[in-house]
Amino acid sequence: MKKAILLALAGSFPVLAATAETLKINGSTTVNLPVAEAAEILRAEQKMDIQVDTQGGSSGGISMLGDGLVQVGMSSKPVSDDDRAKFPKARFREIHIGEDAVALIVSRDVWEGGVKALTKQQIKDIYESKITNWKDLGGKPQRIAFFNKEPGRGTWEVFVHWVYGSPKAAPQVSFPEVGGNEETRNKVAGTRGGLSQLSASWADGKKVFALGIKLDDGTVVEPTNENIATKKYPLSRPLFLLTNGEPSGAAKTLVEFLLSERGQELVKKHGYLRLRDLK
Amino acid sequence: MRKLSDFLIAAIAGLCALVAAGILVGLVFVVAQRGLPALSWSFFTEQIRLVGAAGGIFWNLIGTIILLGAAFVICAPMAVGLALVERVWLRSNTARRALRTVLYTLNGLPSIIFGIFGFIVFVQWCGLGKSWLVGGIVLALSMLPTVTVALIERLKAIPAAYVEAAAALGLNRAQIVWAVLLPQAWGGLVTGSLLGLARAAGETAPIMFTCTIFAGATWPHGIKDSPVLTLPYHIFILAQDSFDPAVGAKLWGAALVLLVLVFLLSLVALPSRLKMHEEANV
Amino acid sequence: MTRAWSWFFSFVALATLAFLVAIFVWQSLPVWHHEGWNYLTGTKWFFRQREFGALPMIYGSVVVSVVALVLAAPLGMGAAVFTAEYLSRKPRLAVKVLIELLAGVPSVVYGLLGILLLRNWIYELFARFDLLSGDTLLTAAVLLSVMILPTVVTLSDDALRAVPATQRRAARALGLTRSETILHVSLPQARRGLSAALLLALGRALGETIAVFLVVGRQDNNLPERLLSLRPLLESGQTLTSKLGSSETNIGYGDPLHWGAIVGLGLILLVLTGALTVLGTGFGKRSDA
Repeated sequence: MKKAILLALAGSFPVLAATAETLKINGSTTVNLPVAEAAEILRAEQKMDIQVDTQGGSSGGISMLGDGLVQVGMSSKPVSDDDRAKFPKARFREIHIGEDAVALIVSRDVWEGGVKALTKQQIKDIYESKITNWKDLGGKPQRIAFFNKEPGRGTWEVFVHWVYGSPKAAPQVSFPEVGGNEETRNKVAGTRGGLSQLSASWADGKKVFALGIKLDDGTVVEPTNENIATKKYPLSRPLFLLTNGEPSGAAKTLVEFLLSERGQELVKKHGYLRLRDLK
Repeated sequence: MRKLSDFLIAAIAGLCALVAAGILVGLVFVVAQRGLPALSWSFFTEQIRLVGAAGGIFWNLIGTIILLGAAFVICAPMAVGLALVERVWLRSNTARRALRTVLYTLNGLPSIIFGIFGFIVFVQWCGLGKSWLVGGIVLALSMLPTVTVALIERLKAIPAAYVEAAAALGLNRAQIVWAVLLPQAWGGLVTGSLLGLARAAGETAPIMFTCTIFAGATWPHGIKDSPVLTLPYHIFILAQDSFDPAVGAKLWGAALVLLVLVFLLSLVALPSRLKMHEEANV
Repeated sequence: MTRAWSWFFSFVALATLAFLVAIFVWQSLPVWHHEGWNYLTGTKWFFRQREFGALPMIYGSVVVSVVALVLAAPLGMGAAVFTAEYLSRKPRLAVKVLIELLAGVPSVVYGLLGILLLRNWIYELFARFDLLSGDTLLTAAVLLSVMILPTVVTLSDDALRAVPATQRRAARALGLTRSETILHVSLPQARRGLSAALLLALGRALGETIAVFLVVGRQDNNLPERLLSLRPLLESGQTLTSKLGSSETNIGYGDPLHWGAIVGLGLILLVLTGALTVLGTGFGKRSDA
């Protein structure tokens, strides 16, 4: 009897989108910015029913796509062999829609204290807690407040890929965690001696500042669009839409929109590099 | 000397009460102060835009209301059943006490436990995906003890004379339930449910794995894969992105609306609660 | 018919609960096999390397809840003494209503206040201790103490009111002042109920997820060497609930071992809060002075 009442209730809801398919998207907060806006446009112009979420970042996007819970995943890192092995039935298709880079950002007091670039070795030492104070790096004496990105975030994987070669080779460390890009920016901005990994376009130069990378020969490469496009800046990463097999239906509409002129403008608007900007 | 310590104790106690009340009232005040600027007609009738920086919370309110409705419908029969079993059908005192212990234990369970349970069983195994129905089930479970206990207390308060009179008139137990107990206990069901719903309205942990997403949902179009937008989850996600000034006032506005919703639900239950308090202990 | 339906719905409810407990036990089996008792005593949680030790989280949960109780208990009980012993009926009911209303403030609102206000206060207040940030165990504890304050006040007030008025009158008749009556008659006689109030408040603190998640820092493996020192309070930490609310619960689902570890945390939480609640209500019920 209870079930009957429930079914009756469920069935009485206006079946608005019955004819259109609901497009479900989940994944990276980095890729989310242009995609969420694209979704708003498509909803308004083409009456599409699109649901966007950012649970679990890039890894969340991959696993929900693999589990069949969403049709489109958003990821700021490539799908790894491990991911493919974990979801043998899914044929992951990566659709490149733009490029971004991971920057190491610091809070205002660190930047103004003189630290504007670091070498890979210095970064490694900070990650392994061998250096714990900014004074050892040329800055004012202040405890390094390192916020590590959550596991599974595309930003984190790009970072350890560069420092250690692969996520598996990264040592076990223990730092406070941050989740999405906004949270990272806020926490670093509000903490003295703050340092974290963040999508380069989110480093606005007002609240948080992106460090340059000092290469072996002494040159400092900053995460400018130019350096990212020419791959001079080592921590670049692709922005992907992921689908299971070739995109079709509503997913295809979304993909085509983001690859179109208008969609690519959205990518640029949010600070990332368009496909045509890459060299 | 004794007079002095007498005065001191009273003063300390009074101070504690003042501080306690002050903290709690102050917190509401802060939310109200920051959230009020965001409230407007469009805030209530529009949907979220630009990841919370523009637009309103219309669909979040709708989603929360849908979940509360579903939770009530699922919870009520179980609560009534349990209360009747405890009051009317169970004979032995140990069985009754066991049942009450189970209820109290349930009351202390963290809501995230229900969320994970719902995620495993309904979202994954039953293949429902994120769905308003699963959210309703999970919230119903979390409010079950509150409603059941309120019902039991209400049933306990029905004077034995009524039941005896009915029995003397020849009614059997089932008839007594329908003729005497349930009409009187209706108030308890409403009160308990409102209190349970007040608590459920603010819950985030059980709904974030089971039925809610951040943007894009409007009316659920079925049971499978039909999530809703909700107020608490909206606030939770934005709270982690809280320094962006564009979002700021709207975030507090959403928090204020949620607070008012919860308070309204509690307040509506107030008159009958006061009556119950008075009957229970003066 | 009525009887059948009552039993049916009761059965549905109870079966669901039994099922819930069974699921938590069953789904966490992989991690028990893998780690054995080390799951509870291990201090390292590195899911990529398949190491699952929950001790730092158990420590975090316990510390945060106990400190919250230590902060809330005196204030709450003092306030309860005021409402139970000094106020007459109408004001008492008014205050009770107010406090119960405030008990309903959602945890996400507390979390918001915690991120935007409390964590900055703590960061500035303890700046000379060289804090990493404002997200610390102490921040979570303070936030929790405000959250459980209404619970402590209401239940303590109930406990004190349960002491019969005759006892108080007798004491006054013997010449005791009001405060002496409170200290030597009311409070001792309400001991059981007051302990119950504290146990239940502790249970509530242990189970709180969202508010703690937002301000505790979410740093794994931060078990201090000296467990009873105060310094760890000023560091970030992780509780059972903050881990459950984190993204690992989303990523962990496909992998039986990782998922088992996550569910296992839920099981630990279930057992702890269940035990506290049973103790708390057991205490309270036998209070017939």
